[in-house]
Amino acid sequence: MSTLELVCPAGTPAALKAAVASGADAVYLGFRDATNARNFPGLNFSRAELEQGIFHAHAQGCKIFLAINTFPTAGDPEPWHKAVDDGAALGVDAVILADIGLLDYAARNHPDLRRHLSVQASASNPESIRFYQEAFDVKRVVLPRVLSVAEIAALNDEINVETEVFVFGGLCVMAEGRCALSSYVTGESPNTNGVCSPACAVRYEEDDGGTMASKLGDFTINAFAPGEAAGYPTLCKGRFVAKGEASYLFEDPVSLNAASILPELAAAGVTGLKIEGRQRGKAYIAEVVSSFRQAVDSMDDGGAIKADLINVTEGQRKTAGAYQKTWR
Amino acid sequence: MLLAGLVSRPLPPRLLQPVLDAVFKRVMRKHPDLFDRLSGLGNPVYLIDPTDLPFSFLLNADPARPRMLVTVDGRDGVGNMCASATVRGPLRSLIDLLEGRMDGDALFFSRSLNIEGDTEAVVALRNAVDDANVQLTDDVLASLGPFSGPARRALKLGEQLYHRLDQDLEIVRASVHAHPGGQAVKGPKV
Repeated sequence: MSTLELVCPAGTPAALKAAVASGADAVYLGFRDATNARNFPGLNFSRAELEQGIFHAHAQGCKIFLAINTFPTAGDPEPWHKAVDDGAALGVDAVILADIGLLDYAARNHPDLRRHLSVQASASNPESIRFYQEAFDVKRVVLPRVLSVAEIAALNDEINVETEVFVFGGLCVMAEGRCALSSYVTGESPNTNGVCSPACAVRYEEDDGGTMASKLGDFTINAFAPGEAAGYPTLCKGRFVAKGEASYLFEDPVSLNAASILPELAAAGVTGLKIEGRQRGKAYIAEVVSSFRQAVDSMDDGGAIKADLINVTEGQRKTAGAYQKTWR
Repeated sequence: MLLAGLVSRPLPPRLLQPVLDAVFKRVMRKHPDLFDRLSGLGNPVYLIDPTDLPFSFLLNADPARPRMLVTVDGRDGVGNMCASATVRGPLRSLIDLLEGRMDGDALFFSRSLNIEGDTEAVVALRNAVDDANVQLTDDVLASLGPFSGPARRALKLGEQLYHRLDQDLEIVRASVHAHPGGQAVKGPKV
């Protein structure tokens, strides 16, 4: 068995079953409320669905990680406390947390419940990670998607905590957990409401010529020519006019695919390989998870690694992102 | 299912409605909690518009009284159902999405799927049907009663012929759009 753990997303029970059947070592998911950073309409798990999901996953030797990775509303931490309590009672294998207060609550009330630090905490240096380890005994840190492979290797040399890195799916190059772009336009953010660019604020309009405008709140943030591949309607992936030219100023609509550098990531000392996409359908889950299962197993066997997956990527394009960054 | 769409092309909506009623009733009986994930959205009405058919469907996702109507103009004729969101795409893509064979975001990224109106309602519906494991093909065939067996065999043959035709068309398309040096380039769909 590989030492690299494949951590896969699920937004519904059907997606969870697809992930387990496709070879996930662990599935991460959230409750159907604002306690997690994918609080999308119609998505996520009820308590009863989580209980059934844990039973199904554990029967197949697969772990369940519960994401409670938004920041509790000031004065009303109860929904977040209850999420931790219910996750512990139902038997999740770990909780993924970002907020210091919630980490403290979990450590005090459920000391035996394994704690992972969410990417929403944006911990990207040894001092920060050591703080979370010493204060709350976190066992694993999900690293922000802004580090190169060399930086991850150097980081792992200086810490004594497992690290988990994203290997496929949507990219976020902002300081996660601190980004206020969505709040600025819509009043809601992934940090507190659990949703970046909420669907209620998104509109698509296609004109007679086939050009599709995507609108967020009161702003038109992109226009896709007929046949041009589209991306998510987030402000960071908007196309803006600067110096007379429309272009992507912050980030392109493109998906991360780090399959080709799995050996480098393994050599850098990472423990978990995370696939993004709790908001995606079970077809995506099945295809991406099975491809990465094969890629990890093939790497362990010394074989070739292949996981193209271009048909499910945002903008129909892929990148190795910051892992191979050349712009510094 | 494309074959089913082609076969049903000449049928007027009033003849299709009884068949749709039977299929929809069967789907709802098998998946009574299909629209539970839409709670809090105020019973949205969707216009499901297959771009390769001369009619579309109005879906009222009221968990207590769900309905689906065939429409040619996006209206129900009496003004009771007014779509707040539209999902538009080829019939085959819409059925693949419904049956969970295709990811909705991937279809959207590739521009195979067009969304208008209440995006929140569309996202919720996508998540609801993705979790439901609806098998529309089986339900349509089952609604045909004693004809379901022959219809299933005819459908299988039709799909084999369609895939063969599709492959042949792809070869022709690649040849037509090939560079003199033999390098194929992207072109519009035939």
